[in-house]
Amino acid sequence: MRFPRFFGKKRGHRRTGSQAWASLGDAAFHAALLAAGIVFSGLLLSGVAVPEWRINQHFLATDCTVLGKGLVRRTVVAADRSSSFTWQPCLRVRYDVAGSPTESWSTPSRSTTASDRAKAVAALSAWKLGDTVPGWYDPTAHATVVLERGYNWWMWLLTLLLPGALISFGGMGLARAIRRWGRSQERCAVPSRFSDLLDPLAAGPRQAAEHPGVPACDDLVNSPGTVLPYRLPIESPENWTLLGFGLFALLWNSVLAVLGVGAVVDLVRGKIDWLLLTLLVPFAAVGIASLVLFIRRGLLTTAVGPTQLEISAQPLRPGGRYEVLLAQGGSGTLDSLRLALTLEEQATFTQGTDTRTERMTVWACDIRTWVDLQLTPGARFEAREAFTIPRDAMHSFASQHNAVRWSIAVHGQPAGWPGFVRTFPLVVFPAEPTIDHGGLRREASP
Amino acid sequence: MSTAQEGLRPTPRVVALFSHGDRHYEPLDPVEVRYEVEGLDDEPPRAVEHSVLWFTEGKGEEDLGVHFFERVVAPERLPPNAPMGQFSCRLPQSPLSYEGVVVKIRWCVRIRFFFDSGRDYVSEHEFTVGLLPPARPLMTIP
Amino acid sequence: MPAPVPHGAVPTASRLTSANPFSTRYTRPGAVPPLDASGQPLDVGRLLDRVHDGCWVIEGPHGRGKTTLVRALITAAAAAGRTTSFVQVRSWADAWPALSSVATAGPGHIVAVDGWEQLPRGVGVLIVAMARWRRTAMITTAHRPIGLPVLARHESSPALVAAIIERLPDHRGTILPDDIEQAFRSHRGNVRDTLATLYDRFEERRP
Repeated sequence: MRFPRFFGKKRGHRRTGSQAWASLGDAAFHAALLAAGIVFSGLLLSGVAVPEWRINQHFLATDCTVLGKGLVRRTVVAADRSSSFTWQPCLRVRYDVAGSPTESWSTPSRSTTASDRAKAVAALSAWKLGDTVPGWYDPTAHATVVLERGYNWWMWLLTLLLPGALISFGGMGLARAIRRWGRSQERCAVPSRFSDLLDPLAAGPRQAAEHPGVPACDDLVNSPGTVLPYRLPIESPENWTLLGFGLFALLWNSVLAVLGVGAVVDLVRGKIDWLLLTLLVPFAAVGIASLVLFIRRGLLTTAVGPTQLEISAQPLRPGGRYEVLLAQGGSGTLDSLRLALTLEEQATFTQGTDTRTERMTVWACDIRTWVDLQLTPGARFEAREAFTIPRDAMHSFASQHNAVRWSIAVHGQPAGWPGFVRTFPLVVFPAEPTIDHGGLRREASP
Repeated sequence: MSTAQEGLRPTPRVVALFSHGDRHYEPLDPVEVRYEVEGLDDEPPRAVEHSVLWFTEGKGEEDLGVHFFERVVAPERLPPNAPMGQFSCRLPQSPLSYEGVVVKIRWCVRIRFFFDSGRDYVSEHEFTVGLLPPARPLMTIP
Repeated sequence: MPAPVPHGAVPTASRLTSANPFSTRYTRPGAVPPLDASGQPLDVGRLLDRVHDGCWVIEGPHGRGKTTLVRALITAAAAAGRTTSFVQVRSWADAWPALSSVATAGPGHIVAVDGWEQLPRGVGVLIVAMARWRRTAMITTAHRPIGLPVLARHESSPALVAAIIERLPDHRGTILPDDIEQAFRSHRGNVRDTLATLYDRFEERRP
């Protein structure tokens, strides 16, 4: 057991001051959103949702006799100050309220506002004078009667969704700003029940249990292998690259087609738009190039075939020896196929409008290289290899802006085609320490 | 917020003593820190915060993870009533101190004093966890 | 793996203080006081005295220290007892925080909007109008003239970079004047990128 040795003084850095002013704008912004959400929801509730609910819950049923028909005219003033009218059909009805006859105007909800008076008049033909139609009147204001009721669910959704989003976003942001107000950097960074809820973006990647800073490896262990216990997910952006090429080619060539058709129509009519024709030449060149690239990338992706990697254990530990099973599909010849273990650092920095990410490979080791590999269609090339994580290796690490990543990369060079790299992420935990009964610490053998 | 008199006020001086004189620890080791502070005669603090944390350094934005945090407001535990402060905790299994190229991970304790005038003063003292060799830009090993 | 430290060896003091002086920790806006093109400290107080109300711009190309200066102004204003807020605009989505900050500010307040060109065109006009209506001082940063009075125009020089380096932790002689000159030229005066290159130089030559 080590006894404390209270000698060896060192001075540390010193900083003074707090930055409460940075929180003020943040708080003001979220308070404004929260207020807007409350006001908006109040307006929607009082103007739409509550009246509709009252109609369905509190209005009393009655039979209404149609006494007259009419149109409600509203004046609409446009941006250019011109005015026009809209017309909405309405009915004069008579109904009994506790034995007393009452008359009132009501707007049937299935009648819609029209800008054409004739259409509105035609809509009134759905009702005849003397018809008896069901109605519901307001027990607190007998003159208010409706001829239809039910719920507009989409209106309730709107009432909840839009103001709800403003209230939740504004409320969480305000709570976050208040929580941070006047607090030190360390105190704000202490994990709490609410920290992830209030600031999900600042939470960073999910961490492994009992290992702060080490990324969780759930995604790496939930796919069983066919020979070895685990199949590793691929990180390669090949499919996304192909999708990106495809979308670009589609969009660009669609625009090109529209311009091309326009130019042809002009030519047929005897008009020559020299500017358009001049622009079409480079546009067409780009369009053709994008198509060629897309097709080439697609052929490469499909011709090379899938790469799969299985591993004997997860998570990995420094000093541990592990087996991998590589399976490569496709056809043709691979000039070389290389399996490599790498350690990469990644740092992201945002300043002003610039976001910069730097990557640095700090360690790499070739596991195995094959040359002149002949791939047979319908069959897979398989190889089982072993590798060791160095005993003094850094473990995997991931925080919001920085990471230390282990991975196995498969580098392939097909004959006559561009090379490819397919990356399979790994998670390496710190070496497992143990303390024996003598109180001495030694590292566990993996 | 800093006050206009900040430049005229003498800054305190904190001397921290670690239980391991070389300031080197292994994961799961207990860390004990004692500290003395001088220069607080003019204005005694109203609170002090003790933190044990890791932070990143390098080319990326600074991230930090607080492993231990304690806020002390009891007057009997604050200077000048208590000229020496102390705190302790057991370190976690990770992350280890790491001297990378674009990413470095450092462990430290921070002792932050808060004053009635609204200003605060922080003193930071580094220590290491684990014994990893420094990283260098890639050297491919066949 | 590079040869590990022999078993039982303890880290030396140099390992504890072996920080790269060009880490973002030491070079981010606010970590170094604002300096002018010749490397002399800017008189933040004098600049702040001009900002009672109205809208001002700090002009300069990328990486010249505009954000550093605006943060120093805000800090000085807060220390002087003025109410302040700071909004970092990185995309159009940040237009709303900028608008809200100005809308909720009042006479004598200072609102800093860093990144004017990221705002949608009409929003900038709205912010200026609102700031004038609220009699709030607004300071913004831009890479080119935007029609507002110029509070400061930032340029850079190797002397500025050298002055910044003097204020960073000791690089122990790993960085030579030629390194500064070369990095400054290759990044066409962008101080931020120059410091990032010097970071790499330090790592390559780390003792």
